[in-house]
Amino acid sequence: MKRIVELIINGEPRDMTVDSCRSLLDALRDDVGLTGTKKGCDVGDCGACTVIVDGEPVNACLMLAVEAEGRTVETIEGLQPGVDVLHPLQDAFMRYGASQCGFCTPGILMMAKKLLDDNPRPTDEDIRFGLSGNICRCTGYTKIFDAIKAAAIEMEAARS
Amino acid sequence: MNMTTPIEKREFKIVGKSVRRDDVLEKVTGEAEYTGDVKLSGMLHGKIKRAAIAHARIKSIDVSKALAYPGVKAVLTHENVPRVLHYGSPHPRSASCTKDQFILDDRVRFWGEGVAAVAAISEEIADEALDLIEVEYEPLPAVFEPEDAAQPGAPLIHEVGPGGNLVLDPVRINRGDVEAGFAQADFVLEGTFSGGRPHPAYMEPNVCIADWDGSNKLTFWTSTQTSFMVRGILAEVLGLPLTKVRVLVDHMGGGFGAKQDLFQHEFLCALLAKETRRPVKMEFTRHETFVAGRSRHPCKIWLKQGFKNDGTLVARDMKLVYDSGAYGSHGPGVTIVGTTAATSLYRCENVRLEGRCVYTNTPINGAFRGYGVVQSYYALDIQMDEAAERLGMDPAELKLKNVVRAGDIAPSGHPILGHGLEICLQHGIDVLDWKKLRNRDRTPDPRHPHMRTGWGIGCEMHGSSAYPGIKEQGNATVKVNEDGTVTLLTGAAGLGTGAHTALAQIVGEELGVRFEDVGTIHGDTDVVPWDIGAFASHTTYLVGTAAKMAAGKVRAAVLDRAAMKLQVSAAEIDLSEGKVFVIGDPGRCMTVAEAMGPSRGIPAANIVANGTYEPTKSYSFAAHFAEVHVDTETGIVEVKRVIPVHDVGRVIHPIAAQGQIEGGIQQGIGHTLTEDYIIDKKTGRSLNAGLVDYKMPLSMDMPDIETIILEAAPDPGGPWGAKGVGEDPIIAIGPAIANAIHDAIGVRFHHYPITPEDILKALREKGA
Amino acid sequence: MRRFEYHRADTLEQASRLLTDLGDDTFLFNGGTDLLVEIRERLRRVRHVVDIKQIPGLSDITYDETRGLTFGALVTVGRLENLALVRQRYPNLRAAFASLGSIQVRNRATVVGNVCRASPSADTIPPLIADGAFIHIYSRTNMRVVPLAEFFTGPGKTVLAKGEIVTGITVPPAGDNAGKAYLKHGRRKAMELSTVGVAVSLTMEDGLCNDIRIALGAVGATVLRAPEAEAMLRGTALDAVTVKNAADKAMEECTPISNVRASADYRRDMVGVLTGRAIKQALEAFA
Repeated sequence: MKRIVELIINGEPRDMTVDSCRSLLDALRDDVGLTGTKKGCDVGDCGACTVIVDGEPVNACLMLAVEAEGRTVETIEGLQPGVDVLHPLQDAFMRYGASQCGFCTPGILMMAKKLLDDNPRPTDEDIRFGLSGNICRCTGYTKIFDAIKAAAIEMEAARS
Repeated sequence: MNMTTPIEKREFKIVGKSVRRDDVLEKVTGEAEYTGDVKLSGMLHGKIKRAAIAHARIKSIDVSKALAYPGVKAVLTHENVPRVLHYGSPHPRSASCTKDQFILDDRVRFWGEGVAAVAAISEEIADEALDLIEVEYEPLPAVFEPEDAAQPGAPLIHEVGPGGNLVLDPVRINRGDVEAGFAQADFVLEGTFSGGRPHPAYMEPNVCIADWDGSNKLTFWTSTQTSFMVRGILAEVLGLPLTKVRVLVDHMGGGFGAKQDLFQHEFLCALLAKETRRPVKMEFTRHETFVAGRSRHPCKIWLKQGFKNDGTLVARDMKLVYDSGAYGSHGPGVTIVGTTAATSLYRCENVRLEGRCVYTNTPINGAFRGYGVVQSYYALDIQMDEAAERLGMDPAELKLKNVVRAGDIAPSGHPILGHGLEICLQHGIDVLDWKKLRNRDRTPDPRHPHMRTGWGIGCEMHGSSAYPGIKEQGNATVKVNEDGTVTLLTGAAGLGTGAHTALAQIVGEELGVRFEDVGTIHGDTDVVPWDIGAFASHTTYLVGTAAKMAAGKVRAAVLDRAAMKLQVSAAEIDLSEGKVFVIGDPGRCMTVAEAMGPSRGIPAANIVANGTYEPTKSYSFAAHFAEVHVDTETGIVEVKRVIPVHDVGRVIHPIAAQGQIEGGIQQGIGHTLTEDYIIDKKTGRSLNAGLVDYKMPLSMDMPDIETIILEAAPDPGGPWGAKGVGEDPIIAIGPAIANAIHDAIGVRFHHYPITPEDILKALREKGA
Repeated sequence: MRRFEYHRADTLEQASRLLTDLGDDTFLFNGGTDLLVEIRERLRRVRHVVDIKQIPGLSDITYDETRGLTFGALVTVGRLENLALVRQRYPNLRAAFASLGSIQVRNRATVVGNVCRASPSADTIPPLIADGAFIHIYSRTNMRVVPLAEFFTGPGKTVLAKGEIVTGITVPPAGDNAGKAYLKHGRRKAMELSTVGVAVSLTMEDGLCNDIRIALGAVGATVLRAPEAEAMLRGTALDAVTVKNAADKAMEECTPISNVRASADYRRDMVGVLTGRAIKQALEAFA
């Protein structure tokens, strides 16, 4: 059965007409056309589909689209603060080589954003723990850790 | 004596700098388009029915219920697809391949093999329709281990090939006189080694989309490392000229070698689209990436080496058996490369090697970073550590004594030109103060009385390019536009390594324009020059040189044109950062745009050049130093620190090169400790085809990695001496960890992965 | 993925009726992090799911010194994991919660869901059993409260009858004389299903162990207690020798199987190691 789901995606009110068994991930990718969120496993094991729903990161594959009714969803497409302005994390990921094949990158960026929003001065352990649900198979994580630390410092400097 | 030519000292404008990669802005904004992001109107979804039996003949297959199911548009079985035998591996140039695959057969050779395919208006309907396909099987006896498959009288998995379940005739290599070598030996070490079945587990599951237009031309989007091979084999099997097959691949979510087969779903997707006259998308589930993807060949190795008391290696006798799985795929290539690799690494004049590759009723093994060499060097390096122990020598010292040197004959049969292993090893020894580390206080930390620490070294070398197995060719086309910008056309795939950026750096440097002014066109077989594919750590080496050649040609043409405009001879001018100037009189200058553009009745220039490079092979080298902590109560091993020291010749993009090394180490740690795709040896069923039970090291498991890259040994065949880097790190880390475990607890392991259970069992046997 | 129908219940009664009326292939849908995986991986045939997340009153967390900690069926693992009270008073629960799946999963998964899934390797169950938790069950006829230790009847099986719904869990208060620990054994530090999980909850009085409960995960058809090992420890000072002997006893009391994650023998060995370590860690509360 199809249902109409009204929600806010990246600050814009949207509605999507979806099968009630459709995942939020499939709805975002196929029905809304936001393909930045990736499907790496479809069973919550890889974190590539991480989006932020009502302020909390979740696997979009493990949530039904109908459950997003009335909620606020943030995806990678909404991470940039302005048209030509990048989030400091995005900039740091480019400079530090934190993105290789890039398939895990959107999910990791959303997770890192949440991490720094909650914890502006994360320790190495905080960063490792914060990313423990996101698989990256290219980088060995080293450059990702570097980029997040650098972005945290830049964001801190921008605030003060 | 080190005969390696030192690297040329010169000032570069672009090369050697970590410029912003041309593909990353799209990746961090989510705009990068991967194959699975492509959506075509009217697109159908394809799914494959997979066998739940390891070896059987299909007695009957009834698709009537599936065809009648609302939303289903087509169903394919072996009865209605072309019966064309093809190479699973798209390297028909490699003479060793046997054609052993049909698109669909009336025979099942492994649990999970596709037996039918459905196209439907939604993925859900296609999935539901799979349940409605009724297949009746006549079970056949199955074999799951190479030893069993190689027995006389074992059930035959293929009618083609050399027989006896061999994928190719045994590979035999003899150098010197092994018996005479052993006769000189003061002692002999003999051991058997084995490797599990690690899976590449790239993040983007295999996916393709097929679309036929009104002129019967197939446009095919697919996540592949070898788009021209896909084009060639699809055209051959479908009976089309190459003008009627266009393969597109933009961004790829990793491949690590495994995305260079021609997969069953790729043929089926094209055929379903042809049948329905609608675009069809086929996307693997994560489970399918295991059962229908490609893993590393499990391997059993017997190794016997003779040593003199001064540590000289005098004889090496080695037999390797690789498990190909149900089809040949890269079995021949892996066997040849892995076996010939064992002629080298540690010098030995008397070598006798025999490599075999055997079919079993298990999922197909294919290409994977470290191609056959991960297995053979694991054995060679660990046995060298054992020899050091036997001699009472520091393994670093013995390895230093025995590592190959410049001028030694490489596995390719050529003398090694750029040699760097000795330098890597020595550098690591110095940086770490290895002697002090060896003689450290080994008293356990009272807070962790069950913890033991250990340090180990692993050495490796790996060729850039698949020569001589494949006679390779790199191509590039460079165009200079009338505004002074430059377009590079390359067929090299961008599987995530940053290869296109490195190529653009090379073009900009050679031509004398800014990096920002070089644009790259790739990923469309209708447009870009033919490319062999992204594998064998060769893109920077091979295509890089071709790009440099093409850039050199257009540079000469630009200089000629500028000389005409400046009314000087071309020999009097130079080109740098987009400006042409008179040498010694830089005030007399013009931009490349001015040189190229129309003026005084002269039309704008059209400057295009091709570069084609047919290389032999270069070798890159690494020594990895690893620290482990072993919990002697639980058997858990943690890798705490890795210092990888690599020689990759000239470094084009330092951050990208480091990224290759660090990512390879992650995969290698997984191989050695936790990753193994397990097939039930009674049924052939997969036991851990998913990312929870196939255990890759994640963010909390990774050690600190302190990457060191030495530009020690340039290869004259690569651009400014550049060599490959992609495969090396995954080879050296394994023996480094195994040797470190020995250092920690005094137990030798000859296999991977080394599980906590193995550790506890070995400690008990040792009586600890 | 095969399709299924989604139903949203506004009351427990409605949810309960849907569960009984829609037939055998109907399942309660809460966090969904297990059920959706089982559907996608074809491990469970599902035709209908009944979403209970709109039902009021199931999202509360309360604590008082006499009743202890009570949380509703909709409370996510992540919410409890990050609660200061849980960190301070229930380090065992905190350890179990923080080791379940990933942060993303924990933001959806509920503790009640993890418990009701009744997996022998579920992380939340051993510390809840060691703490003597109770489970609140709604039924259209008679509501009941069941000790968690009596809730499970086998792997994936519980005492729940068709139409019954778990509404929450109560964990007894954690006194100042309590020490608690949960140790999970896996091959990785995160994204793991436990190979063995051992929970210990104990109380000390005048340097002697007043009471102790040991719960063992992934080494039996359900999470097990180790009653004989517990008996050996009660009334002792939990000295190294006694703890070692009790840990050996716990190894005898468990009934592990071999599977792709570990052999039965290895699991039994780990029960011994982790029991000792968990007792030691629980005692650190008094250090």
